Amino acid sequence: MVQETTTIENKTGIHARPASIFVQTASKFKSKVQIQAKGKTVDAKSILMIMSMGLVKGTEITLIADGPDEAEAVKALKELVDSKFGEE
Amino acid sequence: MAEIVRGKGVISGIAVGKIMLAGQNLDGYLVNYKAEAVETEKKKAADALVAVAETLRESIERLKSQDMVEQAAIMEAHRMMVQDPMMAENITAKVDETKSAPHAVLQAAEDQAKMFEQMADEYFAARAVDLRDVGKRVAKFILGVKEPEIGDEKVILCGREIEPSVIAGMPSENIAGVILGSGSTTAHAVIIAKARAIPTVVGLNKEDRIDRISDGDHVILDGERGEILINPTPAECAQYDEKIKKQQELAKHYAELKDLPAVTTDGVKIELMANIGSHMDVDNALTYGAEGVGLFRSEFVFMGRQDIPNEEDQFKAYKEAVEKCGGNLCVIRTMDIGGDKPLPYLNIPPEENPFLGYRAVRISLERRDLFLPQLKAILRAGVYGKAAIMVPMIINVAEFKKVKEFIEEAKLELAHEGKTYADDVQVGIMVETPAAAIMTPILAKYVDFFSIGTNDLVQYTLACDRGNASISHLYNHFNPAVLRLIERTITSAKEAGIWAGMCGEMASDPLAAVLLLGMGISELSMSAPSIPRVKEKIRSVSSIRAKEILADVMKMEDADEIKTYLQKVLD
Repeated sequence: MVQETTTIENKTGIHARPASIFVQTASKFKSKVQIQAKGKTVDAKSILMIMSMGLVKGTEITLIADGPDEAEAVKALKELVDSKFGEE
Repeated sequence: MAEIVRGKGVISGIAVGKIMLAGQNLDGYLVNYKAEAVETEKKKAADALVAVAETLRESIERLKSQDMVEQAAIMEAHRMMVQDPMMAENITAKVDETKSAPHAVLQAAEDQAKMFEQMADEYFAARAVDLRDVGKRVAKFILGVKEPEIGDEKVILCGREIEPSVIAGMPSENIAGVILGSGSTTAHAVIIAKARAIPTVVGLNKEDRIDRISDGDHVILDGERGEILINPTPAECAQYDEKIKKQQELAKHYAELKDLPAVTTDGVKIELMANIGSHMDVDNALTYGAEGVGLFRSEFVFMGRQDIPNEEDQFKAYKEAVEKCGGNLCVIRTMDIGGDKPLPYLNIPPEENPFLGYRAVRISLERRDLFLPQLKAILRAGVYGKAAIMVPMIINVAEFKKVKEFIEEAKLELAHEGKTYADDVQVGIMVETPAAAIMTPILAKYVDFFSIGTNDLVQYTLACDRGNASISHLYNHFNPAVLRLIERTITSAKEAGIWAGMCGEMASDPLAAVLLLGMGISELSMSAPSIPRVKEKIRSVSSIRAKEILADVMKMEDADEIKTYLQKVLD
């Protein structure tokens, strides 16, 4: 299992567009991927679960992956979050 | 004999085509739905999710290929909701409870939507709309209700209510006609249909007449008589072919007028401009001989989307319209939305009287996140031609002064950001409240122009809801009270040395055009297909005769008397 913590920095948080990019990225990996924030852990491949967490700017999240490509999964997702999803 | 259904014809012309139902209510289908064994229902729901995901994928591809990136991203989010593991789980649980696949889907989506609604963050709360949309889509698939998907064939759109964005989002050449259950001549869906000259019949909710029309029916729609012939006989088709021929001849006659100016026999020129709902309408407007745009309704930039349109998106739309107008004026009206057209990102609670409520400039002045990007986008578009800003719903001088402050701020920001903008963009108001019309002598000191918006001016002056069929006989732009407010506005403009125009439905009435000419109006803006008709009338009278007619009319006591008199002397 691999995990890493980061903070959401893009202005609008993880709303519909970033959430869909996030889930698309997570779904590319075979490993079980989870996102942990505000004391909850949810399936990172479920857009509804992710959106229901209300991840606004400044929220600290932990990315957890478990499986054959766990390291790549965490790396890719962290990069995505840190790139602010290509927003300003 | 074909079955004939009658409504009110609001846009004349004849359309022949197949019916496509839009904006359905699912209740009827749900009541008639026969559920099978629980396991079968679960499978139906699961299959529907897969199928809907596939159609969404196809429309995402199409949107992307058309460069509609934002809309594609929203559809992508919808597709993921459909494919979400949690959604699938919730639906299965609901099937156990309700024993019916479509009910289960709708309830699961509703539960999820409620959960989103309770969230503190405004943005997430607004996602409830997406979930309900998705749920409805999947339920429709199970129930066998077709999505309005336009193919190559021309269709006649039919629905009790049709969202303006549904019509706006379809290419004109695919819609032959529109049938609307509810509504009046000024419903927004009708206004768009008018800009595109699509024959339209409304008012078929009466006695549920609209239910006699089914999806896929072959019909002839007569926009003149307000009749719809369902599955016509060959003889009837032949009869209508004759009418269509005449219609084309008239169109040819009007086309000959296209490049002629709208001048009276004694040389007074009136600018005839077009009302448009989107930048895509400009080309069509120019084919009718429009000399620019007198009203660009910017609402459609704001509708059918989930968040505030940014400066860049708006700039692109306005720039295209301004550029296409060549050197002619393009008047862009700032957002004119209120509680009657709720937008997810505006978050306006339902109001008892949305037309007297929190709307248009009243919202703009409080929402700088909304107003500044729009003003900046228009100022930037001004570089590419001749743009003007028109502010709706003004009732006093203070509001207009605040608008001017916003414009100064927008210019400052643009200068700071190093973006080029036009410094000479005219700023005027839409005179559509009695308060504004009465105050025009004072307002004229501050504005660059007045444009009279008669749809609301008539409604507010006569305290008469324009959508209420039982009082539609009271709603009349020839009402003497309305005429006095219009005359006052035009006179105030002349005295202050600014121009006055009109952009309401009244401007497309050739009889009214003569009266307005007599009052000294300098511009009339209307749905483009009306331009030739109005032009023909203006070219047939002298300004002196128009003044005489006006003098007679202003002595008369009621609207019907005025209309009868005008028909007698002018038709």
